[in-house]
Amino acid sequence: MNDNKAVFKIHINGSVEDVWREITKTDEPQQCFFNSVLDTEGLKPGAQIRMRTVSGRYTAVVGEVVEFDPPHRYAHTMRFTQYDDPPCTVTYELIEKDTGVEFVITLDGLQPGTKSAKSMIRGASFIMNTLKSLVEKGKAPLSSRVVFALGGVLEGLSPKSMSSENWPLSRQV
Amino acid sequence: MKPDSMDAVFRALASETRRRILDIVKDQPGRNVNGVCTFFDMSRIAVMKHLRILEAADLIVSEKKGRSRRLYFNAVPLQMIYDRWTTEYSVFWAERLTDIKYRLESRRAKKTRKKK
Repeated sequence: MNDNKAVFKIHINGSVEDVWREITKTDEPQQCFFNSVLDTEGLKPGAQIRMRTVSGRYTAVVGEVVEFDPPHRYAHTMRFTQYDDPPCTVTYELIEKDTGVEFVITLDGLQPGTKSAKSMIRGASFIMNTLKSLVEKGKAPLSSRVVFALGGVLEGLSPKSMSSENWPLSRQV
Repeated sequence: MKPDSMDAVFRALASETRRRILDIVKDQPGRNVNGVCTFFDMSRIAVMKHLRILEAADLIVSEKKGRSRRLYFNAVPLQMIYDRWTTEYSVFWAERLTDIKYRLESRRAKKTRKKK
C-alpha cells in the first residue's frame, strides 16, 4: 500500500495571494526554494521550469509544469541535476481558511532511499518554515539566511552536471 | 505556531496509542484506516477517534481516494516544536548524547538476545 508519497501541511497567517507569489514569482529569487531563481517561458502546463542560482551559472532543479491553477494549485515534475534519480512530482495546494492559508506540499513518485528522496523530504520542511516566516514576518528565518549565504560561497564548488549550459529551457526534461 | 495549535499537538502526542498510530502511518505512507485497525485490539470507531485527534493536530493528513481514506504522517508540527527550543549549539550536543544512548542501548539489546 506504500504509494511513494509524502505530504507536508502547514498553516500560514497570511493571504493566499502572498503565498502564491512566493512560490511562483520570477522577478526575484525565491527564498523559500533555497534562494533559487525560477526560470521559465511562462508557467502553464507543459512549460519547462528551471531553478537556477542567483548568478544564473548553475541549475539545481529541472522540471515541467503539470498543473497551473492560480492561486490555489500548482504542480510540476522535478529532478535534481546533480543526482541520477528519476523525476518526481510536487504539488502545492493553497486552501483559504478563516485564519489564513493552509499550505500543503505533496511529493509523488519518490524512490525510497535515493538521494533525491532524502533531499526532498528535508527540503520540504525548509520550504514550509521559510515560507511561513516570509509571509508572516516579511523575512526568512535566520537559519535559512545562513543557508543562503553559504550557498553563495559554495556555488563555485558545484559539479559540472549542474552547469546551466547543460540545461537550457529548450531541452525537454 | 499559535499556542492553541501547539496544545493540540501535545494533546495528540500524549497517548501511546496515538504515538503508535503515527509510527504505523509513517512506516507506510498511504495506509488506509482499516490498515491501521489491524494493529489494534479495539473497535474501528475507537481508532477513528484517535485519528481525528491526530488530524486536528495536523500530525496526520488524510486524502480521499475512491472509497478509502489514505493517511499520511505530517512532520511539520514536530519540526516547529523542535525549532522553538533548539539552537545550532544545543542540536550539536543533544545529537551526540542521543547517539550514544541509542548505540549503547542497541548494543545491550543485542547482548541480552545472545544470552537467551
